[in-house]
Amino acid sequence: MIAAPRFHLSKADRRNLRTAAPFILPWVIGFFAFTLYPIGYSLYLSFNSYSGFGDATPVGLANYQHLVSDPLFWKSLYNTLYYTGLAVPIGLVIAIVLALMMNQRVREVAIYRAAVYLPSILPLFALTFIFIVLLNPRFGIVNYLLTLVGVPTINWLGDPRWTKISIVLLAQLGAGGPALIFLAALRAVPSELYESASIDGAGPLRRFRHITIPLITPVILYDLIYGTILGVQIFTPAYILVGGTSGSAAYTAGPDNSLLFYVFYLYKNAFQYSDMGVASAMAWVLFVISVLLALAIMRWSRYWVHYEVS
Amino acid sequence: MSLLGRRGWKASLLFVSVVLAACGGSSTSSAPPLAGCNSGTTQATFWTSHTPPDSVSLQHITDAFNTQSKTTCVKMVQVPGSETDIAKLTTAVRSGTGPDVYMLDRFTVAERAAAGVLTDLSSFGASSLASNYVSFAWAEANFKGKPYALPFDTDTRALYYRKDLLQAAGVDISALDPSKGPPTIDMIRTMANKVNHKTNGAYDVIGFIPWINQGWHYTWGFVYGGSFFDASSCKVTPNDPKIVQAYTDMFQNWSKALGVDAVQTFISSYAPPNQPTQQDPFLTGHLGFVVTGDWVLGQIATYVPNLNYGVTYIPVPHAGDQPATWAGGWSMVIPKGAKNASGGYEFMKYIAGEPGQRVYTKETQHTPTIKSLQSDSTLFPGGHQFFINQLPAAHSRPPLPVGAFYWDQLSTAQDAAVRNTADPATALAAAASATNAKLQPFCPLS
Repeated sequence: MIAAPRFHLSKADRRNLRTAAPFILPWVIGFFAFTLYPIGYSLYLSFNSYSGFGDATPVGLANYQHLVSDPLFWKSLYNTLYYTGLAVPIGLVIAIVLALMMNQRVREVAIYRAAVYLPSILPLFALTFIFIVLLNPRFGIVNYLLTLVGVPTINWLGDPRWTKISIVLLAQLGAGGPALIFLAALRAVPSELYESASIDGAGPLRRFRHITIPLITPVILYDLIYGTILGVQIFTPAYILVGGTSGSAAYTAGPDNSLLFYVFYLYKNAFQYSDMGVASAMAWVLFVISVLLALAIMRWSRYWVHYEVS
Repeated sequence: MSLLGRRGWKASLLFVSVVLAACGGSSTSSAPPLAGCNSGTTQATFWTSHTPPDSVSLQHITDAFNTQSKTTCVKMVQVPGSETDIAKLTTAVRSGTGPDVYMLDRFTVAERAAAGVLTDLSSFGASSLASNYVSFAWAEANFKGKPYALPFDTDTRALYYRKDLLQAAGVDISALDPSKGPPTIDMIRTMANKVNHKTNGAYDVIGFIPWINQGWHYTWGFVYGGSFFDASSCKVTPNDPKIVQAYTDMFQNWSKALGVDAVQTFISSYAPPNQPTQQDPFLTGHLGFVVTGDWVLGQIATYVPNLNYGVTYIPVPHAGDQPATWAGGWSMVIPKGAKNASGGYEFMKYIAGEPGQRVYTKETQHTPTIKSLQSDSTLFPGGHQFFINQLPAAHSRPPLPVGAFYWDQLSTAQDAAVRNTADPATALAAAASATNAKLQPFCPLS
């Protein structure tokens, strides 16, 4: 049990601390050496010109100024916010729907839960390769099903208007993870509330609207923040989708650079253009953007998150 | 201090030392030689991002080296990477776990040398090998007058055509005989349009898509007589009017004529990202013409040995124009911090020397950069000789310290031209200013 913070430790506390310290030391060292130090070092590098080898040359704010004047930086930021703005709310709705399905009182629910969760444990790169086949405009099953209901052929991965939407769809295969958290939240809602609402004549929709949703808002907030922080770091699917050496997509990040996401461009600056200074500056700009987004969501949450019953 | 506390410290120290030992890795010098190596040899590692069938041939050469070397035993490892993506290499080198030899796209040697990733080979006496290699390849392997690489293969590009598809569409293919010189672009357009075929409103066969495969910005820029770099002013010149014209004719207008969306849908259907070689639309009969390199001869022999095809010059803008192509290729380098650099150099001399290049040429139909091998006609059966004959007049990409960046900028402009989203002159002017800003700190280059 973690005690409330105190400034005066008793003898027993000090002894416990001495005993515990060596056990947590490796992780404390790891945090300082492999997390805190690189973060600080990247801040230093963002004010330098550095190829990754040799000496870093101080350049002041030049890396940040370069980003402001680089159209691809703005494009990558736009692509990333566009993707996050779509993927997070859609992912939230899908995760809640999946959680509701997993929460049904049917005998085989364990099987359904496993089936719904399964895509989430598949590696993202494997899913991406499968998606390339599914989304083939001529031979893919997605377009085949759409043509049955009269939708014209969509060039999912070759048309800049659809590429990001394709990745939003792909991201939904990972909705099983957040769905499990929502499932836990749903099961924590006291059943008396539903019972008394039923007695008062509330139907399933009303109960969902006025009991379930308010009581899971803390988890919705968590999912929004977590999803946003992950969303702005989207990388893997785009990196795989622009691979290959034939077709015009190779060497641009998707058609019209529509899959040039922020972290992908950061990666290109660091490892293709050997410009660690610009890459570090990008990392810090992204950090600030993530913090601002998280703060905005937190502030907004005051109007709709309910902590009264938990 | 309690006994438990002391025990805890010991446990923690033990844990840390285990972690550090695991991170440290093993020393290459004490490693036993691999199977197939001679005893008493020291191990060196060789990394390549090549995939089959080329990597199979590289393994053959490595095995042959190991059989004959008394001092070095080479372990070949396939790693992720591409022409311009060397993330795996840079992170490994930086953490002291890099290989002893790396196979690097030769046009990026200057760029990686400028970044400090590569070892200067002067101390190994690499300069004395210069006369063995064709001059453009040796020039690409040097940066600021010092050798940083040994050239490996090269290649040239040409126009492949499917005789079966063209004849079925009623095209007279006699004009495509290379003995008649290069065809004109108009001639190819007329032939290609006869091959175009749609089912349910979407293309399933297209005669010619100039930007597919090796129809790069550099390819058409050179064909139109453009110049990509001005050495005297140390500036890239993608907005050379001849390159702008190439972009306009071969990317913008060609795409518009086929239908911008229709041709993109065709590419996404028949040439999706990360497609396996054997599904290439030319090999599967969905493209009538394609500009690509001599290595495709080897792919055809492997995957579609009965293909009814021919090879001629890349088409030229006007009748009577000189044919043009460009030569690329790879090279062998020693990254900084290599633990067995001398063993690595011994292997480099072998694989990039006559024995290695002879096997690679035979097995993969790439072109050797060793002068003496280029005149050995037994190495170039069938159609390969045509590519070798193009070599003396072939262009090569300017070896710039911002080569990968420049390539991406040219590709972005190419993509805009193909999609008709930007005027080629504007897109190329943007590429010029962005690249020159990056290049400027490295000037002068000589």
